[in-house]
Amino acid sequence: MSELLELQRSMMQWLQSESGDIHHKVLGTEKVSAETRLAIYANAYRYRLIDALSDNYPSVHTLLGDEDFYNDGVEYIAAYPSQHFSIRYFGSHLEKFLAKQHQDTAVLAEMARFEWALRDAFDASDTVSVGFEALQTIKPAAWVALRFTLHPSVACLNLEWNVPQLWAAIENETGQIPFEQAEYPIPWLIWRNALKTYYRSLAVDEAWAINAVMEGKSFSEICTGVCEWVDEAYAPERVAGFISTWLAADLITALDV
Amino acid sequence: MKLPSLGFGLGLRKEHYQAILDTSPAVDWFEILSENYLVPGGKPLYFLDAINERYPMVMHGVSLSIGNTDPLDFDYLQQLKDLSERINARWISDHLCWSGLAGVNAHDLLPLPYTPEAVKHVATRIKHVQDFLERRLLIENVSSYVTYTQSEMTEWAFLSAVAEEADCLLLLDVNNIYVSAVNHEFDPLDYLKGVPKARVQQHHLAGHSDYGDYIIDTHDHAVVDSVWALYAEAVKHLGPVSAMIERDDNIPNLAVLMQEYEQMKQVSASALSESVQDQGGAHV
Ligand SMILES: [Fe+2]
Repeated sequence: MSELLELQRSMMQWLQSESGDIHHKVLGTEKVSAETRLAIYANAYRYRLIDALSDNYPSVHTLLGDEDFYNDGVEYIAAYPSQHFSIRYFGSHLEKFLAKQHQDTAVLAEMARFEWALRDAFDASDTVSVGFEALQTIKPAAWVALRFTLHPSVACLNLEWNVPQLWAAIENETGQIPFEQAEYPIPWLIWRNALKTYYRSLAVDEAWAINAVMEGKSFSEICTGVCEWVDEAYAPERVAGFISTWLAADLITALDV
Repeated sequence: MKLPSLGFGLGLRKEHYQAILDTSPAVDWFEILSENYLVPGGKPLYFLDAINERYPMVMHGVSLSIGNTDPLDFDYLQQLKDLSERINARWISDHLCWSGLAGVNAHDLLPLPYTPEAVKHVATRIKHVQDFLERRLLIENVSSYVTYTQSEMTEWAFLSAVAEEADCLLLLDVNNIYVSAVNHEFDPLDYLKGVPKARVQQHHLAGHSDYGDYIIDTHDHAVVDSVWALYAEAVKHLGPVSAMIERDDNIPNLAVLMQEYEQMKQVSASALSESVQDQGGAHV
């Protein structure tokens, strides 16, 4: 094995588990021991990654508090070392990690899911949305097979806890509010319009409809689907109402007839 | 051999996006952190394009990992190349370091051992990258906190050997030279005198954290007097080189940073006039 590779193995083992033979491969000075010098790298490794987690999950950080966030961060680094060239994606497994780590505080994993979705919406790709005019060009007969493409930032999450309310209270510093679990999961829509990220809760049929759009279902298939919640005669009007709301929020980027 | 100088720059940071658009500060160019813009869309790219309409830009990356023993990441390189075309980047730089192994990224700028083996390894990879990007790279000296028993030469001999063998350009970070000079107890002037002058395309200036017995390169303070003094020496020795200030933490508002920017221009101007006098070229 090359000397370079051998050295890199020792250093990585040091960073990842503070063990191994790296001490034999570095020198200290009169003033600063090899141990102190190596500790600078071990600390930098931990703190840089935990800072990146905190940047992407400010509310998870607040809910856990500094000490627990740090301790969980250390365990997370060991469980999911970064595999991407960009530190932006280092936190992608935090929801999974927290679900296991804090099984009796499920709100934490849900907060992670919510914050990661906001993060994804923030830098999702820019696609120009279509306006109401585009809809007016669709001939009545074509509506049956009409399909829609949503903006890449759109995500739909089902949340059992009052995570968006907790997030807003932390973000706006309006004081602590208690965790609350709903009887049923509530669907939430996350999206970005121009440079601003938004979220709102969805009625159950609108949530079903938007998921159906994502799956590529047509207008008539969506109308059939929402009949589970509304009267058949009223379904097309209901779905057309959703579509006009989505158009107004610039959520639709293409119509496919 | 070198690319045309750009003058004096600043690091582009999101904290200043709006102020830059509102006030069009008198900055010659901006250096971007490449990875911040290797994203699909949204705010980062919106402001990048808007600011790029008014200022020349150069790209500075942290993910090239030129000293790694894993294969080069050509997906990353393609993204760099696309970004460089998008903003007409005047040049692209990254660090003389390694940062991970076997697919794990430590996201740190880890020093290499200064050995002939490492020179060959790194130079070969720089050549591959330069071929792919179809331009010469600038390689930057990093701050370091350990000395490896393997090392057989000084840091500047290593940097120079890599640059000569790869035929690349250099980004000399004056603060990193200062930090490493304290940490490794060498004379920073030996460093300045030991690098191939004709390859030095850019300087970085930055603040650091001084712990007494050692210094850590944190980019969270203003540039300190001793680094300004070393920068003056660099200007005297290397002549006018494009220079910029890096600030990554504890970021002041743009007006405060502009004062530091003016200081950089003044230090450079007076060092240049002093070196003209030293050479007997000034007429009183
Ligand atoms: Fe630098």
